[in-house]
Amino acid sequence: MKAFSLSLKNLIRKPGRTAMLSLLTAFLALSVFGGSVIVLSLRAGLQSLEARLGADIILVPSEAQSRISFQNMLLQGTSGAFYMDASVMDKAMDVPGVEKAAPQTFLASLKADCCSVKIQVIGIDPSRDFTVQPWIARSLTGALGDMDVVVGCKVEAGIGEIIRIYEQRCKVVARLEPTGTGLDTAVYCNMDTMNTLLAAAEAKGVSHKISSGDDSVVSAVYIKVRDGYDIDTVNTALTGKLRKVTAVRTRSMITGVSDSLAGISRTVTIMIVVIWALAFMILFLAYILIVRERSREFAVLRLIGASRNMLGRMALIESAICGLIGGFTGIGLASIGVFAFSALIESSLGLPYLIPDISTILLLAAGTMMLSIVVSALASAFAAWRLSRVNPGTALREGC
Amino acid sequence: MNRKIVPGCIMFILSLIIAIGSTTFLRPCVHDDGSVGACWWAGKALLGLGCLLAVLSVLTILSERARFGIYLSGTAVSLLGILTPGTIISLCSMSSMRCRAVMQPAMIILFAAAGLVSLTGMFFCAKP
Repeated sequence: MKAFSLSLKNLIRKPGRTAMLSLLTAFLALSVFGGSVIVLSLRAGLQSLEARLGADIILVPSEAQSRISFQNMLLQGTSGAFYMDASVMDKAMDVPGVEKAAPQTFLASLKADCCSVKIQVIGIDPSRDFTVQPWIARSLTGALGDMDVVVGCKVEAGIGEIIRIYEQRCKVVARLEPTGTGLDTAVYCNMDTMNTLLAAAEAKGVSHKISSGDDSVVSAVYIKVRDGYDIDTVNTALTGKLRKVTAVRTRSMITGVSDSLAGISRTVTIMIVVIWALAFMILFLAYILIVRERSREFAVLRLIGASRNMLGRMALIESAICGLIGGFTGIGLASIGVFAFSALIESSLGLPYLIPDISTILLLAAGTMMLSIVVSALASAFAAWRLSRVNPGTALREGC
Repeated sequence: MNRKIVPGCIMFILSLIIAIGSTTFLRPCVHDDGSVGACWWAGKALLGLGCLLAVLSVLTILSERARFGIYLSGTAVSLLGILTPGTIISLCSMSSMRCRAVMQPAMIILFAAAGLVSLTGMFFCAKP
């Protein structure tokens, strides 16, 4: 008579009870796995944002909406278009401590007959850029030609495909890797292409408050501070020297996101702890009641030769199997929710969101499974101990 | 309750969620300028498939002789429903848009569940 085979038969014979116990464990696994994937994705998104920004300071027009628009563009992928005089770049380079300055020009397309898709177009100067080029270089060998575009991973356009922006045909030459930021919905081009698109937008009656073909405007300037200089000091100097321009420390943007992430992480952790505490208590009581209800069954087993230890092991094995089934179910349900609806979760949170790689997810799943089995077994430990103390005679006589 | 009609009942509930959802909480994108994209037609197709699935599930409850064949049809309709958004009928170009973020994954999951339920019904009908 083997404990494992007997336990398995017990579980199969009572499918309703097995299902209920597994369901409780499934809630535990679902909360741990789902919550952990979300928190890890937010952390990966934050790291990606930090790496993607590349610059120490970003100069944007001082209009109140510009900074908000720029932040929303980075975090949520909302379109934005604002401009300032390009001479800002040369003035910025004169400030002590500024090592590099790279301009970017933004243009928002429309979802209309003129355009295949509503996207954020970002024009870069390949000769000066140091933030986007390293990312583009991973996907594109060679220079970014005129009317060629590089698209973010969320733009559904394949390499070689033509997309229309203000009736201008642009060829997709590369797709960027996911970053988890709003820039996944952007399209990158060189400045000549951007000037063509700006002129086309003007011709369509979409005013961006600039002259068509005017290459003396930029939307943002990314600043790299020279080693040995204090970033805050350079930031202050830039703010003092440049009129109608706001200098944004990228660190402050990242700190804001980091604080939001910490808040969400704390909330998720508290929820997981509460769910686990409740479920553990319910499982604990459930196993005690089950053992009490089955005391006659176990008494008969004792009479036909089962040892006290075997009865205890049976209870633990049954709970471990329920934990295993519940773990699989919970991880499966959480996976469907978190991965299938990742785009919805990302847009709801409004924070950088990048799903971890497959090895991390598998490790997380394995850890969650182990935790489910261990917690399920622990919940039944007291009941198993009581079971090993069952007096067959008393149990059969009293039926309790 | 006869276990052969339980899958039909579950399929009916799923088909109602699909049909109602395709026009409400699982609807496709609505553009700012009031125009409709390809995803709108995908939504209409899913509404039709949901209604068809509802009719088939009612027939599995009412008809005893053709039950296996109706479940088989339900499986085929479910497969069509999985392929409709994004494969047979294209959706919007941005993966953050409603049709791709909400409608497509939800409908695939619902039709996959309906397909599994249909297969279960076929299994129960095939057993003596």
